[in-house]
Amino acid sequence: MSPASSVDAAEHCITCGDEGIPMQVRALAAPGSEAVCLDACGAPQLVALDLLDGVSVGESVLVHAGVAIARAAAPASAAEATA
Amino acid sequence: MKFVDEYRDAELGRAVSAQILSIVEPGRHYKLMEVCGGHTHSIYRYGVDDLLPSNVELVHGPGCPVCVIPMGRVDDGIAIAHQPGVIFTCFGDMLRVPGSHGTLLDAKAQGADVRMVYSPLDALRIARENPERDVVFFAIGFETTAPSTALTLKRARAEGLKNFFCMCNHVTILPPLRALLESPDLRLDGFIGPGHVCTVVGARPLQFIPADYGRPVVVSGFEPLDLLQSIQMILAQLAEGRCEVENQYKRVVPEDGNARALEVMAEVFELRPHFEWRGLGFISQSALKLSEAYADLDAELRYSVPGVRVADPKACQCGEVLKGVIKPWECKVFGSACTPEHAIGTCMVSPECACAAYYNYGRFAREREVV
Repeated sequence: MSPASSVDAAEHCITCGDEGIPMQVRALAAPGSEAVCLDACGAPQLVALDLLDGVSVGESVLVHAGVAIARAAAPASAAEATA
Repeated sequence: MKFVDEYRDAELGRAVSAQILSIVEPGRHYKLMEVCGGHTHSIYRYGVDDLLPSNVELVHGPGCPVCVIPMGRVDDGIAIAHQPGVIFTCFGDMLRVPGSHGTLLDAKAQGADVRMVYSPLDALRIARENPERDVVFFAIGFETTAPSTALTLKRARAEGLKNFFCMCNHVTILPPLRALLESPDLRLDGFIGPGHVCTVVGARPLQFIPADYGRPVVVSGFEPLDLLQSIQMILAQLAEGRCEVENQYKRVVPEDGNARALEVMAEVFELRPHFEWRGLGFISQSALKLSEAYADLDAELRYSVPGVRVADPKACQCGEVLKGVIKPWECKVFGSACTPEHAIGTCMVSPECACAAYYNYGRFAREREVV
C-alpha cells in the first residue's frame, strides 16, 4: 500500500480542503492501533486508529491525513440524506 | 460510490434549490460565509452558487491553513530545510507557497532535502528509516489535522526516537471567526460551519456565534447536497427568526466532538499568545505550539530561524479575499500576474482557496475579459 499524494489527481489539498475520506475497516493490523481500510474505490490504505475506541472490522470511519478522526454513518438512501 | 452518490443526486438538488427559492425574501440580499476551503472547492467545482437565487451570495472566509501562513514562517521553514543533514517534510501544497526568496520547492531544487508527505506518520516513518539524520515535519492545518500531528509526536516519544522534530503552524478556527464578526468591513447573515473541524471540537464551540453575534450557523458536510441543505437550513432560521447552531453533518459530526483527539492535543500542544495570519494580522490565542513536555521535539527550539515578519507583495490582495471583502476576480492581479502556475499570493496556491478554486472551476462562467 502506498500513501496517497497530499494533492491528488483532482488537485485536492488534504489540509486546505479539510479532507475526510469515508473508509471501511477491512482488517485490524498489528500493533493494534492501525487498520487496513478501503476507500470508495476499493483501494487499501493503512490508517491509524489512535483517536477512536473500539473500532471493529466492517465499520466505516472518516480518515484525514492517514488517521481515523470519526466514525461515519451511511444513509439508507439519498432522500434520507436530505430529510 | 457509497457515501458520495447519495449526496450528489441532481433531482434532490433541484428540490432543495426550489425550497431555497421559496424561503428567501425578494429584495433582501443574503450574505453567507463558508470558512472551510473544502466547502469553497465544492461550491465552485459543483456550481452550487449557480443553484442559488441571485440575492443569496456566498462569501469565502479564511478557511485554508496554507493560505494564512505568512511569508516569514515559510522563510523560517526554508531556513531549517537548508540545515545540513535535515530531511524536511511537509504536505504537498506547502511546497509552492512563496516566501521572501522562493518556495520550499525552490529550496529542494537548490539541494535541500525536502519531501512531500501525506500524513505526519509518513514523516515519522522517514525518521525511523534515517536514524542518522534529523527529520523535521512542517505541521499545518486546523483542528482537523492537529490531532494527527499530536499523536505522531506521542508515538515518536513512545518509540524513543531522537531525530524527529516538528515545526508547528497549526491554527484554530474560532478566533479568526470572532475577528471577522468584529470587523466593520463585513456584514454577514450566517455561517456554513466547518464540518471536519467539528468532528474534533464538536458543534458546541460555535455557539458563541448566535449567542454573541446573532448569526445562525449550520455545520455542513462537503458534498453539493450537503451544502445546499445547509444553506436552506440557514435561510430557514433567518425566515423563522431563529438563531442557533444546527448540525447538517450528523452522519459524521458528534455534538461533543472527539474526546480522545482533544485529549491528545491538550497533552502535546499549548496555545501561542498570538500568531500572524496572512491578511488578518496578529490574532490572539489562534495557533498552537508544542507544550513544554514536548519541547525536545520542537524544531523552533532546536534550530535558529530568521523569525522575521515579512510584508506581503504590494500587488497581493489575499488579505481582502480571505476576509471575504472582495471576490477573487476583483483582485487586480487575478488571472494575469497571479495564476496557479505563478502564484503571487497563497490564495492562488491551494486548489481549495477561493482564487485557485474560482480560477479552476468558476471563471469560465463569467463574462469577463481576463487581461
